[in-house]
Amino acid sequence: MTAALDRAATELLPAGPRLVAHDAAVFALREKRDAAGSAEPDFERLREYARAAKAHTLDHLDLYLERFEARATAAGAIVHWAEDAPALNRIVHALLAERGARQVVKSKSMLTEECGLNPYLESRGIEVVDTDLGERIVQLGHEPPSHIIMPAIHRTREDIGALFARELDVPAGETDPARLTEAARRHLRGHFLGADAAITGANFAVAETGTLVVVTNEGNADLGMSLPKLHIACLGLEKLVPGLADLAVFLRLLARSATGQPISVYTSLVTGPRPDSELHIVLVDNGRTRLLADEHHKRALGCIRCGACLNTCPVYRRAGGHAYGFAIPGPIGAVLAPALGRTAEQRRLPLASTLCGSCTAVCPVKIDLHEQLIAWRATDVPRGARERWLARLAARVLASPALYQLAGRAARVVWPVLSRRWPGNPAAAWLAARALPEHPGASFRARWRARRREGVQ
Amino acid sequence: MPEREAGGVKVALFIPCYVDQLAPEVGLATATVLERLGCTVSFDPRQTCCGQPFISTGARAEAVRLARAHAANFAHAEAVVCPSASCVATVRRRYAELLGAEPAAELAARTFELAEFIVSRLGTCDVGAHFPHRVALLESCHGLRELGLGQPTEQLGGDPSLLGVTERLLRGVAGLELRPIARRDECCGFGGAFSVGFPELSARIGRDRLRALAESGAEYATGTDASCLVHLDALRRREGFGPRAIHLAEILARRAPG
Amino acid sequence: MSAREQILGRIRAAAGHAALAPPRFIPGARRTDFAAFAQMLVAAGGEPHGPVTAAGLAGRVAERCRAWSAGGRVLASDAALVRLGGGPWQPVPVDADPHALADVSVAILCGAFGVAENGAVGLDGREALPRALPVLCERLILLLDTSRLVSDMHAALAALPPDALAHHHFTFVAGPSKTADIEGVLVLGAHGPRALAVFGIEG
Repeated sequence: MTAALDRAATELLPAGPRLVAHDAAVFALREKRDAAGSAEPDFERLREYARAAKAHTLDHLDLYLERFEARATAAGAIVHWAEDAPALNRIVHALLAERGARQVVKSKSMLTEECGLNPYLESRGIEVVDTDLGERIVQLGHEPPSHIIMPAIHRTREDIGALFARELDVPAGETDPARLTEAARRHLRGHFLGADAAITGANFAVAETGTLVVVTNEGNADLGMSLPKLHIACLGLEKLVPGLADLAVFLRLLARSATGQPISVYTSLVTGPRPDSELHIVLVDNGRTRLLADEHHKRALGCIRCGACLNTCPVYRRAGGHAYGFAIPGPIGAVLAPALGRTAEQRRLPLASTLCGSCTAVCPVKIDLHEQLIAWRATDVPRGARERWLARLAARVLASPALYQLAGRAARVVWPVLSRRWPGNPAAAWLAARALPEHPGASFRARWRARRREGVQ
Repeated sequence: MPEREAGGVKVALFIPCYVDQLAPEVGLATATVLERLGCTVSFDPRQTCCGQPFISTGARAEAVRLARAHAANFAHAEAVVCPSASCVATVRRRYAELLGAEPAAELAARTFELAEFIVSRLGTCDVGAHFPHRVALLESCHGLRELGLGQPTEQLGGDPSLLGVTERLLRGVAGLELRPIARRDECCGFGGAFSVGFPELSARIGRDRLRALAESGAEYATGTDASCLVHLDALRRREGFGPRAIHLAEILARRAPG
Repeated sequence: MSAREQILGRIRAAAGHAALAPPRFIPGARRTDFAAFAQMLVAAGGEPHGPVTAAGLAGRVAERCRAWSAGGRVLASDAALVRLGGGPWQPVPVDADPHALADVSVAILCGAFGVAENGAVGLDGREALPRALPVLCERLILLLDTSRLVSDMHAALAALPPDALAHHHFTFVAGPSKTADIEGVLVLGAHGPRALAVFGIEG
């Protein structure tokens, strides 16, 4: 039974130059991470600190959230709490509607993707312009982002040129990234200057000082935070870090793991609103407390959304983010989906892995991603009746050496038939791209017995 | 190079189910090499499967049943040696959840992958093998990342001159020319049940490995994981290009003629 | 029960309050001279200048401005004006509406300190006023005392001026604005400044 993700990958990222380019572009980020990490002697120690700091923070999350709320409030921010996606959307909409805000600029926030904020606001007459270049590209293309850090990595320059020719008044046939970026710069400037409100995410929230940390390379979040008089920051509960000393560690890991830079271009520490402006902070649960209560999976809340696991994943690179059908793709997406997702297909995402372990090896916070996938497979991934029956049958055969050998002999008899393609062939999935291994002849155990009898050394 | 007297270590062969049924020559070569190194090799025919496919498909009850049977079969073995890193990783990394920490740790301490057993336990990188061919190494994900048989490329700041056990053994083979490949430890795309549930993606990943192996100019592709090699060779025969797969044990078992 | 109470209630039930915080992180030593900082700034696409003496600063900055401004507005913060004196720059209009700064060619500000690890310059919220100035301008010049260099982000966050966070924001700027969202090709000047020059001032 071929999985939905496999079929989606075939359709959405067909084999050919597009697939080759996607795989190469994403792997290049992995190589940049390797180079940046190798150049930083503290790297492994930073990872270990980050792991321990996140474990500590999550184990005291109530205390840190309360402290953050108190300090942020004292600095003049207003803190809201949202149980789930609908609550987030309602809170944000109310803030905008009460102030008559109709034009909003938004910088990257995977949380708002997860909660479907854009369509909610747009259906209520509010124009939301995503200002991160990659996010704007996918927004104009009416599709979701396909990567946490590089939302449009699945798009070629020709795709983007054609899109901009249609939407931004760029000459047809323009494909130069610099000129396309220039066009986006001009186009988005107008939106920044005319916006009534800015919505951002937050990479971290520092409990000790009530500070939000917003990180970009483009400066789009800073433009949003410095022009309109209303700033709404949405973040998941797990973004808390205890203090500035911890923040230093995470900042040193984030950009190196994401893009291979020692630091992003803009790292803004925001405490309270600008003078004559408002800052509203919305803390969002949406399934995170469920993960927190799960001994096996709470570690996944340590994720700092760097994307390193996506970049190294052989499956993600050849499937593309859209095939996952979940706001967050890749290994971390597959780990979060059973808790944060809604559909049965999303709950099956932990199966979309060879369990090679590369994700675990690159995670800056040392989340044991591939082991989390294995754990989910035993608990929450739905298994059909046929699958469960097959497993019971196979286990019964394998638990008996006599039955096992009988099955082996039977398979040998039908082997030539299995090798050919015919409707209903149980080996069909294997045979789609591979030959069946050659007729193996006698099993090892049979040959071992013979060898022993002959006294061969 | 004459056979080493390794003090007569008693080795209980752990032959993965798919090696037993689909690649028996790997098991025979494993026995040949270990005997040449002075081990007394036995094979307990009660063994069948370590349970890995059931773990990776979430069939926990079945996995526990098979893990218990496996542990019982090898309860009295001094050293359990297996020519497949993924099966050894199952015992060393997954059994604690199934059997309990202590029983699993006790068994794990006696369970070895073939290359690590030869290099670390028997203390040699030269088994007197002769294989005058160009060979590329297909690193085992489980071997590198779960068993520590070598340093995976994700690990930064280690000593680059420290070779993994598989590579060290291959470099000890007379006449063998080891060819490097691009992205040396990227997955082969097999992933057990993954190859059946996600056939397109499994083939995409595997074809890229095959291309990297082909571009290395190697005549043979080898490794410590028979499952990866079976998958790669199956792809090779369908695609019509790429080096033939041969298990590390088979290379080590080859001697100079005469 | 409010959402806040529901959420905190679930967290209290799950949190064990047991996992210890790790001991303080002690970073490795590194060079903290202007040359080391400059090297990282260059890698980030920025332009280091100097170190120059206080006396020579205005001349060097003016030279840069003339090449960059193409006749457009050049604004300097009060602190920058103190360092520079007279030249082809104007003070930032008092109570400037940030929207009116969209046509600024060059903005000149003083950095609080520089970070040798990554070529970033710390910009205090009291200096970057209005907040939009260093992001809206086409090109940005930052003045930095070479005595105000710290080694890494640990030192940087420990070096934040006491009430830095009480003034809404403190931003680390490491090079000009950039993006690689189109096929991973690096382009400078995504939304913020297309270029960043940092003048190191000695003595």
